[in-house]
Amino acid sequence: MSQTSSAEAGAPASTGPAPAPVPPSPAVVTMGLHKRYGRAVAVRSLSVSVGRGEVFGFLGPNGAGKTTVVKMLLGLIRPTGGEGLVLGAPLGDRETRRRVGYLPELFRFQPWLTAREVLQLHCRLLEMPRARWSPSITDALQTVGLAARADDKVAGFSKGMQQRLGLGAALLGEPELVVLDEPTSALDPVGRHDVRQITRQLRSRGATVFLNTHLLEEAEQVCDRVAVIDGGSAVATGTLTELLGRHVRVRLKVSGLAGDWWLPFSGSGTWRAEGEWTTAEGVEPGRIPDLVACIVGRGGRVEAVVPEHQSLEDRFLELLGDR
Amino acid sequence: MTGRVLTIAALTVREATRRRLLAALAVITVAMVALSAWGFDRLERSHRITSGEANLAVPQALILFMFMFSFVVALSASAIASPSVSSEVESGVLMTVVTRPIRRAEIILGKWLGLAALLAGYAAAVCGLEIGVVDAVTGYLPPGPVVTAVYVFGEGLLLLTLALLLSTRMSTLASGVVGIAAFGAAWLGGVVGSLGTALNIGALSTIGQVSRVVLPTDGLWHGAIYYLEPAAILHSRLTGTGDPFFALSSPTWGYLLWVVVWLAAVLGACVFSFQRREL
Repeated sequence: MSQTSSAEAGAPASTGPAPAPVPPSPAVVTMGLHKRYGRAVAVRSLSVSVGRGEVFGFLGPNGAGKTTVVKMLLGLIRPTGGEGLVLGAPLGDRETRRRVGYLPELFRFQPWLTAREVLQLHCRLLEMPRARWSPSITDALQTVGLAARADDKVAGFSKGMQQRLGLGAALLGEPELVVLDEPTSALDPVGRHDVRQITRQLRSRGATVFLNTHLLEEAEQVCDRVAVIDGGSAVATGTLTELLGRHVRVRLKVSGLAGDWWLPFSGSGTWRAEGEWTTAEGVEPGRIPDLVACIVGRGGRVEAVVPEHQSLEDRFLELLGDR
Repeated sequence: MTGRVLTIAALTVREATRRRLLAALAVITVAMVALSAWGFDRLERSHRITSGEANLAVPQALILFMFMFSFVVALSASAIASPSVSSEVESGVLMTVVTRPIRRAEIILGKWLGLAALLAGYAAAVCGLEIGVVDAVTGYLPPGPVVTAVYVFGEGLLLLTLALLLSTRMSTLASGVVGIAAFGAAWLGGVVGSLGTALNIGALSTIGQVSRVVLPTDGLWHGAIYYLEPAAILHSRLTGTGDPFFALSSPTWGYLLWVVVWLAAVLGACVFSFQRREL
């Protein structure tokens, strides 16, 4: 039947193997994205790519241009240069917004509605089938810990509760991309933990999370890749290992060898002795096992090897300081 | 598209209900209508005027009261439309709405429709109550009560649309103040025009004509006046053309067509302005 249809449509009959599926486009890709307000440049030729299913951290100090980028991605503001694609569609595409959840930095909801009514409004705007409203809303409210306050007016909610509600709204409709702009700014430690859990759950179901934050600890705990932005342009992009890995510091406790046992290795990295411990800076992580084997080969006993990664905060400050 | 527009319209009406705006307006209106009922009753029972004088005074007093109510309707229109976009942009409430699969034009049209429905209900209630009360107390029923209500609503709708346009670009306070000031200026322009016609001063007449084109609220108010006046006053022309509370004729179809064009143009500008606005 399908062959007949193909023939009628003039399509050539296919006899070979089925074509390989086209890989999905990146969840977010920007090419030279630029935003200027008068003479001030908010975003400067930003090019980043976020793969599907990634948790991508967009890091930067206050005023770095993070929210401006998010707003351009969502079509809230227009770029003055460059272009971008979200889920394969141009920025601001109306139909694509159905597949995107967004928690804005400035989160406010109709104070005269209840939490459930706010979510009902979003279900309606998403044009979800009505049969799905109730389970989706119940699920969202439970996920963000607001089930007990579902029928309370938003006017009585604290900022943290409103942020939770915003997160619940962003989760409606099982979005393929969730953009979270400073999602824990009003949350207590429990709330921040919950957001991390939700982010991991999103990743586990294949959704992409674009996490805009200046909280490095948050990014360090959940992000697969990060971009550091400052002054409107990307300073560094990569996985945390890529960003931090080449700056490993190793502390070793070795016995059975002379105190200056490390001298033969001093050509690789910077070494210094600190009592029983010897510290090596700048050793590549992949060379640590070779290093241990070499010490043992020389008759030494390796009592402890403690690799110490540079914290993201240190690296972040270093990157910003380089500019 | 219709469904999304109606969603926003229903949300707008629900907001007015939940925020007790309708209840507040109802209380104020009932109080003013009750006061006018008392006044008309005193007028009717007065022994100091003849029945003929009363027959002239009652319609004139009704026109004055209706002017006050038309002002309240216009003020309410400006008050409800001014914050409808600006305050939601300022507070951030709109951020999660515009990022849903809805066109900005649909948000504006939905808000306009919801506000217009509220205004229509209020104009109908106010006009119905006041004209009904005057009829019950004095027995005077103007020749066109329904058309009067339509003109009062139209007047409010013009100001509502203007305030909505201003709200897409200005703060709530600024758009409210500018809207009311424009309404006052248009009324004053109409008065100056009437005086110019009465005194045969061309420049003043032109001011009136121009103001009725730029913001046709006063033109519609004169339509409302015309349908409140008894035939006796119209035929005898007891009051002059310089009287801002007298209308010799109803607005022409051409003028009403201009009002429709004006509304469409301002609403279109409103949509365009909001579409271009960066949030």
